[in-house]
Amino acid sequence: MATDNATDGGFGEVSRVRGIVFEYLSLGASVAGLVALGVLLVYVAIDAFDLADASPEWLLTYFLTLVVPFLAFCLYSAGDRAVTRRALGVLGGGLVAVAALFTAVEAFVVEIPRLSWQLTYLFVVAAPVTAYLAYVGSRGRVGAVGFGLVGRLVGGAAIGLAVGTLFLVFDELVWFLAYTLGVFPAAVLYAYGRWRSAGRAMTAAAPVGLVGIVAAVFLRGVIATYPSDLLIYIWTLAVPIAVVGAVVVDGRGSRIAAAAAGGVPLAVATAGGFLAGGFGVPGPTALIVLIAVGVPTAVYVHRAIDEGDGLIGLGLPFLLVVGALVGALVVEAWGVPAPDPWLDVGFVTGSPSRTAADAGLYPAIVGSVIIIALVAVLSFVLGVGTSIFLEEYTAESGLIGSLTRLLQVNIANLAAIPSVVYGLLGLGLFANLLGLGFGTAVTASLTLSLLILPITIISAQEAIRSVPEDLRRGSDAMGATRWQTTKNVVLPEALPGILTGTILALGRAIGETAPLIMIGAATTVFSAPDSLFSKFSAMPMQIYAWAGFPQAEFRYGVVAAGVITLLVILVGMNGTAILLRNRAERGN
Amino acid sequence: MSNTETSDSLITTDVETGANERSATTDATAVAARDLDVYYGDEQAIDGVSMEIPENRVTALIGPSGCGKSTFLRCINRMNDMIEICRVEGDVEFGGKNVYDADVDPVALRRKIGMVFQKPNPFPKSIRDNVAYGLKIQGFDGDVDERVEESLKGAALWDEVKDQLGSSGLELSGGQQQRLCIARAIAPDPEVILMDEPTSALDPVAASKIEDLIDDLAEEYTVIIVTHNMQQAARISDRTAVFLTGGRLVEYDDTTKIFEDPEEQRVEDYITGKFG
Ligand SMILES: Nc1ncnc2c1ncn2[C@@H]1O[C@H](COP(=O)(O)OP(=O)(O)OP(=O)(O)O)[C@@H](O)[C@H]1O
Ligand SMILES: [Mg+2]
Repeated sequence: MATDNATDGGFGEVSRVRGIVFEYLSLGASVAGLVALGVLLVYVAIDAFDLADASPEWLLTYFLTLVVPFLAFCLYSAGDRAVTRRALGVLGGGLVAVAALFTAVEAFVVEIPRLSWQLTYLFVVAAPVTAYLAYVGSRGRVGAVGFGLVGRLVGGAAIGLAVGTLFLVFDELVWFLAYTLGVFPAAVLYAYGRWRSAGRAMTAAAPVGLVGIVAAVFLRGVIATYPSDLLIYIWTLAVPIAVVGAVVVDGRGSRIAAAAAGGVPLAVATAGGFLAGGFGVPGPTALIVLIAVGVPTAVYVHRAIDEGDGLIGLGLPFLLVVGALVGALVVEAWGVPAPDPWLDVGFVTGSPSRTAADAGLYPAIVGSVIIIALVAVLSFVLGVGTSIFLEEYTAESGLIGSLTRLLQVNIANLAAIPSVVYGLLGLGLFANLLGLGFGTAVTASLTLSLLILPITIISAQEAIRSVPEDLRRGSDAMGATRWQTTKNVVLPEALPGILTGTILALGRAIGETAPLIMIGAATTVFSAPDSLFSKFSAMPMQIYAWAGFPQAEFRYGVVAAGVITLLVILVGMNGTAILLRNRAERGN
Repeated sequence: MSNTETSDSLITTDVETGANERSATTDATAVAARDLDVYYGDEQAIDGVSMEIPENRVTALIGPSGCGKSTFLRCINRMNDMIEICRVEGDVEFGGKNVYDADVDPVALRRKIGMVFQKPNPFPKSIRDNVAYGLKIQGFDGDVDERVEESLKGAALWDEVKDQLGSSGLELSGGQQQRLCIARAIAPDPEVILMDEPTSALDPVAASKIEDLIDDLAEEYTVIIVTHNMQQAARISDRTAVFLTGGRLVEYDDTTKIFEDPEEQRVEDYITGKFG
């Protein structure tokens, strides 16, 4: 077949039939798969939003105010990658950030009150003002953002999570003491060590911090008087965030910019805390929300404006909000009856109920988010650690070499073990032996981390192995210790690959139900978990439970709404992770 | 560096006969090999090499491919330790101390000996971070920026990159990358610089820049360079060592002597291209 040349052409012709057949077969298969998935999603969406019962006028209104502008925006942005990127970044990042934040705050700190206009005001005015001021102050040179920032982001996120966990486990007074006695002196020592290049001060930081934290736990009962909540939050949260902001900007821009980046959020946060407190909103909540949402928004918008491309993309959230509002106004004025969607605010923020109309997914959403966050940190840290050990620290020959190979083969095999078996392991090891409790969030996180650890390890190893040997030798020849070479040369190069593997593995962990059932996770819980040791449910489990209810409204409407929520959260999380990964790639 | 005794050396270091105009204040020995044998598994790559390499001079190692030049170079800063099957017998003295003694920390040793590889291998970091790398890992507590500037000037690269210190080292041309690697090697101020065919991947103009550079480097450093380019060896080196197949050091003398009037017929054949 490959040689049936035509003889009349100059050089004859080479047959490409097989390639072309293959190409079209693959294309056909992918398109068919995508279409099937799309149709399913449309059905689910129709069920979830009860669109089948909507009046034509209602559909028309929203079509014109929401769908048409959105499609137009998509068409417009399709021609300009930068716009798409910005739109995705601001929409996805914003949604995920806000959602995660609300969930976490509501679950662990205090009930977020109904969004009063005061709080809304803080959101709508204070955050953009912060961003703008930070930007104006920092028009100076903005250096290339390389691996450094991403590395610090990932590391910072891990530390942040660890610190956050501490924060949740202990009450805020212990936290206040731990911060004042341990974290703060350690940070000061470390900063001093860096500034003066005094290695000893830097090494001393860790033990000092540890001692301080331990001391805090013991002193908690001894000390009787504490500053007010608001002061504690400003001291332990607002100040460090502001300092970090200032330092980051100082590295890239001018002094004034640094002062703006640090001072403005601090001032806004403090003022907001007092203000919100005055209006009856718990000050700490307002502070946290404000800072955690405001600072990343400011940084992102600042950078977007600074880079200057695809600015229109920043308008997409605005477009969507305005579209929805206009649609609501028109429908109201017109007097068109609105459908009653299953997926509404009540569904996302409410608890499960016996009646379909009141059913909510909130506790399960919180459960899933907590578990995934923990799994991400645990499997990343353990997976990267193990793979570094296997790739960089073990010998290739001799007894150690054979042991390593044995270990490798076993890890590869572990990846193929059914998840039910991991569930059993989790039940036996974490729930029974270590006494972490049946169906608790820690047990679930540890079990799921174990489940995806082999995949994380193998992909991280692959990434580490692909770092050119040249670079390692270059670093070794400079007199770097193995650890220095690993940390400074190998890890930065391997990070994008490591992240890709972790993201894929996490995707698997989120969808798992079998191990959760094995460790005794509840299908339905009525309040969000308020600690790592409380009973929880995850989204897939709750959806599965609903699908078995006798009432049709549950099996169609509520399940559909659950699926859509699950998908949105999944896509949001994965999208964020992928953005981060691409960032690391471009950084190199 | 402490001066070592040079009593039983095979070849005396006679500076007066050197063609080089570099002022001769000392003929101290920087690096010395004594009865050095290196094996990869069962295969012998270096066979009984003894030589003394003078301080603040350029010493060239030449010889046909596979004769063990790179292996010899790697013995000096113990980079051979990284190759699991490699085994070294005999002494390599640096500053009068055998680097293969049990109490020598190879990492500390490498901080005194810079190395430049055949293929430029800058780290995927900014130009500044590349040069500052050695300072960073050694916990240098002086003015890093000043040292970076000095080193880049020393590597004749400063004028080309002074406005883009923050951009990636990989964005430079091959010749610039190699000079960046040289800047990286000299930044921590080592005593010896090892170069393994540093110009073989470069065009003649870039290569001649690096040759000029090596000439300057010998003011402050002891340079040991492997090259396949006879003209290069003749141009830049004060002393030349000729290795031949089997890892044997066949002749080691002043460069002028080696190129004008070698003792050994085999060396003359190799240099004139009749064999090798
Ligand atoms: N890592 C290694 N493992 C096994 N054998 C090696 C290794 N490195 C070098 N050898 C062997 O040692 C001998 C000397 O090699 P070396 O690289 O030192 O030669 P060279 O003179 O630098 O050659 P070239 O001019 O081609 O670079 C060769 O026979 C080679 O096969
Ligand atoms: Mg070689």
